[in-house]
Amino acid sequence: MTLSLSVNGTPVEAQVEPRTSLADALREHLMLTGTNVGCEHGVCGACTVLIDGAPARSCITLAVACDGADVRTIEGLDEDPVATALREAFAAEHALQCGYCTPGMLVTARDIVLRLPDAGEPRVREELAGNLCRCTGYVGIVRAILRVLAERKTAG
Amino acid sequence: MTQSARKGVGARLRRKEDERFLRGRGDYVGNIRMVGMLDVAFVRSPVAHARIRAVRKSPGLESVVFTIDDLTGVKPIVANSALKGFKSAPQHVLARDKVRQVGELIAMCVAPSRAEAEDIATQVELDLEELPAVVDMVAAIEPGGPRVHEEWSDNVVLETLVDDDLSTIRANAAIKVQRRIRTARQCMSPMEGRGVVAHYDRRLDQLTVHSAAQMPHINRAGLSECLGIDQGRIRVVAPDVGGGFGYKGILLPEEVCLGWLAMMLGRPVRWLEDRFEQLAANANCREHYYDITGYATADGRLLAIDCEAIVDSGAYSSYPFSACLEAAQVSSILPGPYRMDGYRCRTWSAATNKPPILPYRGVARTGVCFALELVVDAIARAAGKEPYEVRLACLVPPEAMPFVNITKKFFDSGDYPEALRRAVRVLDLPKWRERQKRGEPDGRRVGVGLAIFCEQGAHGTSVYHGWGIPMVPGHEQCTARLSPDGVLELRIGAHSHGQGLETTLAQVAHEILGVDPDNVRLIHGDTALTPYSTGTWGSRCMVMSGGAVATACKEIEKRVRAIAGKLMEVAGDDLVLEAGRVRVAGTDRSMSLAEVAHVWYRAPQLLPADVDPAGLETTAGYKAVRDSGTFSYACHACAVAVDTELGTIEILDYVVVEDGGTLVNPMIVDGQVFGGTAQGIGTALYEEMPFDAQGQPLASTLADYMLPGATEVPTIRIEHIETPSPLSYFGQKGIGEGGAIAPPAAITNAVNDALADLGVEMLESPITPRRLLTALAAARARRGAG
Ligand code: FES
Ligand code: FES
Repeated sequence: MTLSLSVNGTPVEAQVEPRTSLADALREHLMLTGTNVGCEHGVCGACTVLIDGAPARSCITLAVACDGADVRTIEGLDEDPVATALREAFAAEHALQCGYCTPGMLVTARDIVLRLPDAGEPRVREELAGNLCRCTGYVGIVRAILRVLAERKTAG
Repeated sequence: MTQSARKGVGARLRRKEDERFLRGRGDYVGNIRMVGMLDVAFVRSPVAHARIRAVRKSPGLESVVFTIDDLTGVKPIVANSALKGFKSAPQHVLARDKVRQVGELIAMCVAPSRAEAEDIATQVELDLEELPAVVDMVAAIEPGGPRVHEEWSDNVVLETLVDDDLSTIRANAAIKVQRRIRTARQCMSPMEGRGVVAHYDRRLDQLTVHSAAQMPHINRAGLSECLGIDQGRIRVVAPDVGGGFGYKGILLPEEVCLGWLAMMLGRPVRWLEDRFEQLAANANCREHYYDITGYATADGRLLAIDCEAIVDSGAYSSYPFSACLEAAQVSSILPGPYRMDGYRCRTWSAATNKPPILPYRGVARTGVCFALELVVDAIARAAGKEPYEVRLACLVPPEAMPFVNITKKFFDSGDYPEALRRAVRVLDLPKWRERQKRGEPDGRRVGVGLAIFCEQGAHGTSVYHGWGIPMVPGHEQCTARLSPDGVLELRIGAHSHGQGLETTLAQVAHEILGVDPDNVRLIHGDTALTPYSTGTWGSRCMVMSGGAVATACKEIEKRVRAIAGKLMEVAGDDLVLEAGRVRVAGTDRSMSLAEVAHVWYRAPQLLPADVDPAGLETTAGYKAVRDSGTFSYACHACAVAVDTELGTIEILDYVVVEDGGTLVNPMIVDGQVFGGTAQGIGTALYEEMPFDAQGQPLASTLADYMLPGATEVPTIRIEHIETPSPLSYFGQKGIGEGGAIAPPAAITNAVNDALADLGVEMLESPITPRRLLTALAAARARRGAG
């Protein structure tokens, strides 16, 4: 099937089978390998991307269901101001080790920052429950998100 | 000096590797794309134990399905130990005659995409004669049952015995506690699975295997043994790797299969492990059983330990660590950080129809610490003492350091009692005792728990050669090159997969050469580009690779001094290397490292004729002062709330007091401790791969195999003691594994503290709600009966 959608702001077309997941379409057809897959059954959150602005698991989303959608991956967040602030905070707080969970983590973190400007630590942790990290013990990740939330508050 | 304080050894320098990962530019094996690349899917055994009557390829698919009969010339994986009595279990890379675990590879299918390869795999017909499975390690070593390997006399891979005469202690000890303790089988579960991309380079006549591997040089040796081609014709490349923890410290049958296939087809081939394969076929660690007795004086001072331990070693012997390493290690490390008068320990490595054991972060220590520290707490309860008091009475004191313990381990340095005292203080034990007495408003029960351990890291030849396994670590090397533009290239044979070596080794180089860490490039993980190394395992890289980098940089420093001294017409010794420059001491005359390098490579006419031609590139080796290992240690202390209705446990506070010696980058050390502790919390409370009576693994998704998430891991509080190791270059100690060792013991001790007056004592990890509720019900029934 021919799939047409917008990826990171650019209209693209890909030939995919009906069974192809969005993650595979991005990684194998569009060569956007920034989105990692950790479980391919919707639990770990490594594959999280934005579909029409909302975080979604690309491993259990069929590519054909995204026809006409606006998909944004980690590669499309280079210039995004919230993602930029998060990258800075992730590095400062040592919120990543092997980096495998990081793209999905950043997509979720960006959503938390935008959606829940007043979130405290317990809420941030709850919101992160769908993104697994095996390396960091989450300490740095939680701190990084709280740091960006605080910075945005001070900045008004 | 201020420069060094900011960027050298001891600096909380941000990681150089972060930038690419934060932009999704990490290059993991699954991101490799090659022209003409085909995907592989494996047919795996659906049963734990069976004789293979036939494997039938569907007509028309003969050329894309391969069984062991097709892999002519490929030898099985053999990882024997030279220890007396070790039984060998060669593993065919695709099953021959029998399968011995669920998930064992039977056939390899190749197609343009993974989905199509999986379609082909479903069409391979298996004719299997099921045999009774050996599932429980305790039953496995009883005589007379079914055997995993029919040619063996029993299911014992290896038995070891350390035997002191304990009769006097047994007769006189006022306190004797005996416990039967178990730990569940786990799956290490790095977020990235294993993966292999293999291709054959006709020009170089070389097989290149890209693999998510911790020990590329070891994989190369193993591939050479199995494929029967010399090592020069094999290149192993470990690209970015999404977490290891031991899971990727192995020669994989899949690597051998894909290597053969790439050579046979002349095309690149790829296999990426999916999570189902990982959970169903590779839950391969941590399953221990202890029947352990502690003897103590009336006031709780430990006198002796007597233990019989079994480690479930699974069906085969993993390369290079073998099926017996962990059980054999149990007997050498069980005494922990304590002094004692007597010690007896007998261990069995039990073969079962389960995945072959691999050493997971902490290796046997997590189980050993669990067994020992639970017994020490039981002794404290018997003596009516605080658990920290009985520990203080027998921890090796700082004035005894260095100390040779009862199993001849050489504890290099440290203040173990101080770690304990500090942890108790930081946790604020009196506060929790008070709160415990008051009781929680919601009816939950509060408990406090401790565990202390020491961890041998970076141990070398003298420790390993005795095992006689396929790998014995020796020296570590680094190639350093100051390139013409002043950038320093470092090449090491170990691999970094989250540990941040690109940063910490640049800090080491900065410490010696003054080169800015931004101008240091680490090349690693590629056997074609780096000196030999046994790789990344055993908390060894910061000590061994760090030592090698320092030694190589020292040599480069000497040569830089010689060249710059000639150019500036001063003695080499009068020069200071700092901030990327070479300066004449006490003056502001200087030249940059780049200028020195430029002259050496591109303007040699400026050099005097008698300059040493050795140049600005060198390979230097490093060996620790003695290779018995650095001993980091830590005390973990925590407070928990136990809900006796729901069986749930909440960690209210968690403190780690750790001594990693000189910390090269404290931020990264903390990250290792956080991450390890989170994994230990998983071991304590959540992670378990149960098997049914037929040997079927029962958790096949991450919804059943519970990895701790952000809501399960508290903000861990870390304090450091810094006692430099006398054995390593900067005094650093290996600490990568430590975090994962103590949490099961500390948390279980806290739970037992909370439930002591109900007569409940948990002795099995993980403490799931079901296990806890069952224990509570049993205690109620006992009280009712009594
Ligand atoms: S890969 Fe999609 S949730 Fe795990
Ligand atoms: S950094 Fe490795 S999984 Fe999160």
